[in-house]
Amino acid sequence: MILIGEDLNVMSNTISQAIKERNPEPIRKCVEGQAGNGMDYLDLNVGPQKKDPAETMEWLVKTVQDYTDLPLCLDTTNPVAMEAGLNFCKQKALVNSASGVKESMETVMPLCRKYSAGLVLSVINDAGLPSDADERAASILESLEFANELGIENEDIWIDPVLLPVGVDQRQVLSYMEFIQMIPDLAPGAKSVCGLSNLSYSAPKGLRGLLNRTFMVIISRYGQDAAIASGFDEELILLNKGEMPEIVDLIHRAMDEEDLDISNLSQKEQEYVKTTQVLMGKTLYSNSWLEV
Amino acid sequence: MYEAPLEKHSVNIREVVLGDGEKAKKIGGENTFPFHFFEGTLPNPPGLALEFLDMQPENWTAWTLEPFRDVVSDPLKWAGKCVGEYGAEILCLRLLSTDPMGRDASPEEAAKTVKNIVDSLNIPLIVLGTGTEDKDSKVLIEVARACSGKNLLLGPVLKGNYQEIAKAALEHGHAIVAQASMDANLTKELNIALCKFFPPEKIVVDPTSSALGYGMEYTFSIIESIKQFGLVDKDNMMRMPIFSDVAGECWRTKEARESEEQGILWEAITGMTFLLAGADLLVLRHPEALRLIKNMIS
Repeated sequence: MILIGEDLNVMSNTISQAIKERNPEPIRKCVEGQAGNGMDYLDLNVGPQKKDPAETMEWLVKTVQDYTDLPLCLDTTNPVAMEAGLNFCKQKALVNSASGVKESMETVMPLCRKYSAGLVLSVINDAGLPSDADERAASILESLEFANELGIENEDIWIDPVLLPVGVDQRQVLSYMEFIQMIPDLAPGAKSVCGLSNLSYSAPKGLRGLLNRTFMVIISRYGQDAAIASGFDEELILLNKGEMPEIVDLIHRAMDEEDLDISNLSQKEQEYVKTTQVLMGKTLYSNSWLEV
Repeated sequence: MYEAPLEKHSVNIREVVLGDGEKAKKIGGENTFPFHFFEGTLPNPPGLALEFLDMQPENWTAWTLEPFRDVVSDPLKWAGKCVGEYGAEILCLRLLSTDPMGRDASPEEAAKTVKNIVDSLNIPLIVLGTGTEDKDSKVLIEVARACSGKNLLLGPVLKGNYQEIAKAALEHGHAIVAQASMDANLTKELNIALCKFFPPEKIVVDPTSSALGYGMEYTFSIIESIKQFGLVDKDNMMRMPIFSDVAGECWRTKEARESEEQGILWEAITGMTFLLAGADLLVLRHPEALRLIKNMIS
């Protein structure tokens, strides 16, 4: 799976402070750390960036590119910041993101076309977040048509089905899985991408990684192409590189088998099995899912 | 000829005993959905409790006060009237006097009131605090101690005070109402935490209730889904009987306070709806609402 490192994010106090003070050092650390861990892209999340949007994004893109040659994924809801960033990207960038909301299609998609960037396209539309796989399909087909007419080919589109926290609505996690399997038919050539960490929002902090990693293995099996994920979760990176085949195999078995006997497994293996069962909707989620 | 398919479930909702002695009541125990007598067994009818307070009610409408006008100054007489005149087989004592924002009565005083009632009337008793974590914890621990061995149903037990209250309940042989607001995931989380040291067959869950017109649909869905997780998914942590405090929510509404007939129907319809969703134990205020529901389900 293509991994897009999520850690350059204004939600982090360190990063937000560094951007405000134009201090390259924390940025360097974050960039080199993620690049060194083998991320394929780096996400630059500056949020809405109300203050000096263009100048800020320009500084950030240039600073990041001082330390890495990796392609960038520009993550902002501010079109001014987006264009300023695109202008300075040395590699083909990803625009994160447009949605099926009319205003978004009309402002973000043309930018993407102008700079020949890739486009993260979410299934949200004017009616909000679709509630199941079929509604997601209907929504994405409309936005794809709009994008194709502007000249953005499927090959440049990364579909974001929008992953909701398992603690908020377990059924949405299931319809996510259903939907990604429909993508090759709906949009041949397009990729799928998600904000992986969103899955574990509201879960106990020390257990979020376990949910994210297990889910990555599950959706990878269903054909997911890419995920925006932590560039510092070493186990996630190992799993993705295929260096923990026994855990991957175990997760696959937990997906397929109704009653997997876990009594002879190590604690870590048991945790992966229990987490798979929760994510597959076999047992009701609670924040203490490992304790039963 | 067409035969409707029957859905059988291999597990049942746990049976919880309220009270002790010959008047003890059982709730839960069913292996099917509410009133599905054609599909499974429901060994116990839903428990219907009448509420009373440990102090004179404030802001009660004339028509909820009227049935108890002569007894509201004495919780024991009030309890006696609920049983003798209105046929209640389970009572629910709300320790309103302990409200830290109100009279703030001491845990000892509250425990004395409860003990007096328990010693005089041998009837299953639910004892509810005011939902204030700190104060309830002190009050319910004292009640548990004073009424040791009487198998009261104590609540609400919340995320912030479950350890202290459940420990006292366990030590003194009482059951508890575990309350998590409108969220099956949180209900399960609290049950998991409790069951590490507390017997599951002594737990009743309260997903909290909303009255007709004020979100009753949400309560319906959550009760229904808790029951489904228990029976269909056989989730051990979700096989507890379900408690619904109809009285408190209903009589707060503008509609119930507008007229006697409307109020009684508001309470009866809300209560009946929760029974259809799968509630195993209701708390009601008006004797007429109790009578209506009894008639509907008998």
